[in-house]
Amino acid sequence: MSNSYPQPGAWDAYVARRSVIKGGAAVGAFAVGGSVLAACGGGDTFSGEIGSASGTLNIGSNASDPAPQAGLQAVVNAFPNADVDVVINTLDHNTYQENITTILQAQDDDVLAWFAGFRNKFFADQGLVGDISDVWENITGLGEGFKAASTASDGNQYFVPTSFYTWAINYSKKLWGENGYTEPTTSDELIGLAEQMMSDGVTPFAFANDGKWPIMGTFDALNLRLNGYDFHVDLMGGNGSWTDDRVRNVFTTWESLLPFHQEGANGRTWQEAATDVEEGRAGMYLLGTFAASNSEAFAADMDFFNVPEFDSAIGAGALDAPIDGFQMVSEPTNEAAAKEMLLHMSTPLAQDAYLSEDPSVVASNSGANTSVYNDLQKKSSELASAATGISQFLDRDTIPDFAGACGDMFAEFIENPGGVDGMLADLEEKKVAIFADFNAG
Amino acid sequence: MISSRRNQIIAQVFLFAMAVLWMLPILGMIISSFRPYAETSTDPNGFFSWPDTLTLDNFRNAWARGNMPRHWFVTFLVVIPAVILVLFFSSMVAFAVSRYSWKFNIALLMLFTAGNLLPPQSIIQPLFQIYNRIPLPEFAPYSNSGELRGSLIGLILIHVAFQSGFCTFVLSNYMKTLPKELNEAAMVDGASLWRQYWQIVMPLTRPALGALATLEFAWIYNDYFWAVVLVQKGNDLPITSSLRNLSGEFFTDDNLVAAGSLIVVIPTILIYLALRRQFISGLSVGASKG
Repeated sequence: MSNSYPQPGAWDAYVARRSVIKGGAAVGAFAVGGSVLAACGGGDTFSGEIGSASGTLNIGSNASDPAPQAGLQAVVNAFPNADVDVVINTLDHNTYQENITTILQAQDDDVLAWFAGFRNKFFADQGLVGDISDVWENITGLGEGFKAASTASDGNQYFVPTSFYTWAINYSKKLWGENGYTEPTTSDELIGLAEQMMSDGVTPFAFANDGKWPIMGTFDALNLRLNGYDFHVDLMGGNGSWTDDRVRNVFTTWESLLPFHQEGANGRTWQEAATDVEEGRAGMYLLGTFAASNSEAFAADMDFFNVPEFDSAIGAGALDAPIDGFQMVSEPTNEAAAKEMLLHMSTPLAQDAYLSEDPSVVASNSGANTSVYNDLQKKSSELASAATGISQFLDRDTIPDFAGACGDMFAEFIENPGGVDGMLADLEEKKVAIFADFNAG
Repeated sequence: MISSRRNQIIAQVFLFAMAVLWMLPILGMIISSFRPYAETSTDPNGFFSWPDTLTLDNFRNAWARGNMPRHWFVTFLVVIPAVILVLFFSSMVAFAVSRYSWKFNIALLMLFTAGNLLPPQSIIQPLFQIYNRIPLPEFAPYSNSGELRGSLIGLILIHVAFQSGFCTFVLSNYMKTLPKELNEAAMVDGASLWRQYWQIVMPLTRPALGALATLEFAWIYNDYFWAVVLVQKGNDLPITSSLRNLSGEFFTDDNLVAAGSLIVVIPTILIYLALRRQFISGLSVGASKG
């Protein structure tokens, strides 16, 4: 079974569009980066296979949760080159994400955990991430979609994807079985189901927004269903307008669905919302499949379905499926070992080792052992394979500052949906300013 | 008589209520650190529910997941040199401004005191850029990328810079209370400036130095801000700032963080209990000028 993304077209088009904007600057930046690399790349060079590097290799990791932490350790333990001493430097996930610019500028670590797509290109275009096209020449088992998600504006690769998870509507099999609910495939069926739940005394949608990121998933889902993948990618890339009728339509639809959602979401953590689903107080919850990590009982009882179709012309093919992986800094202390490690991370050997410790995600390599997958992993993998467009999640698909502005606006919107026009005009102004800054600098 | 008695009762009740109010969050933290996450998360009353199970698991996990021995080692590599250096340098400035009068005496003291009022956040951007541009030799320990930024030496230096204002102020006030005649007598006997500082004034300043050492230890040990901003490498974080490594991507076990925080405050509490007198005199030393 293949779990590579079969839809490279959209990514390629996106890459091509961005190349027009940033291409010139990027070529300049990489010319400088290249000469620096050549100057300090003493010692062993990458031979294309694992085994000839030696010395110490520093890996910067955001795996502060126990399972991913153990997973990365398993990957390192499975590294077939015993001459390399690997040191893992862990920072908590959120601090790591907020400090990534200084972490990259510091260049203390050789290999850094990070996200595919826009967030990787963003730093690759600034010359802070190292070109690993020579690693990619030796990679097998990663589909074109993954390659596209690892490619920056200059057409070279800067990232090795290792795993991903999907966003979908999660529910409790127990509650659904007792009440005879079935998975909806259209928005009408979804609303009919929500009304049924209301009459059964169950809140249809659990809703939480502590940290101002969880409901970005709701915006992504509605925008992908109502306007399609290309429009979403354009909007995140700063090209579409937030005062556009199509964006307004997303919020009109969202507002019409709000009565089916739990109130006071801004003060609720996703764990609290997931607990409400687990205990049958709420019927559905749009969240990443990590919802299953809320408790062992929920992991056994949870199932999910793809966000249904809202417009038959658009379909239900696109979804958020954030890809995690690793990149190399542009001036690594031990380049040969860094590249060997990145090559290792792309292999079924490393990914099987990882998944043995963290079964909440799906391997990127088509050669990984899928026979050990649990039901949720199998379903995630199928969902991604059938997808016609994969986005990375709002806060990974756009400039960090702008993602923050979106998070503020969404949080305000669910409190006061009537004021949406003013908020969208304000967000559009912020977008123009943030992207102007970005494109200038 | 009756009214003063009533006032006393009112004061007692007020103080008791305030003490309870202050103790509640700390007690809540201590209790939740012994409770499993599943218990506080599923009970509808959350942290305010009555505990069923008490366990040491959170402490064990915090110790292992937080990699605490390593971070404590780093902490002491920063705190001990920082306290010694800050006391050494500020005592020299204090000696100069308190024993000798010269043109810029007041101005210098004001400069050091004003430094205390400067919010550290305001200088972080330029400081970060400066640190980025100062190279460190390769043999310097914990130098990482070869610049001051990210190195433990850089962290020690900024603590010395920021704490020396307060220490200079306190030490100079204390030294002013020492009789000038001591120095005059030493000078007549031919003691050099260094000898007057090191063998006459410093031994007499010992109570103030002891008090400051305990205070400074606690302050630098508790620092979160500088370490978070200046150290990028996870393994090189001092203990207080490393506590955030107990948070996860989507999920943070607050009970685990409570347990980790309790482990981390133990040295400060031990030092406080052992040196209570110095601590309290440290807060008032130099307050009254002789």
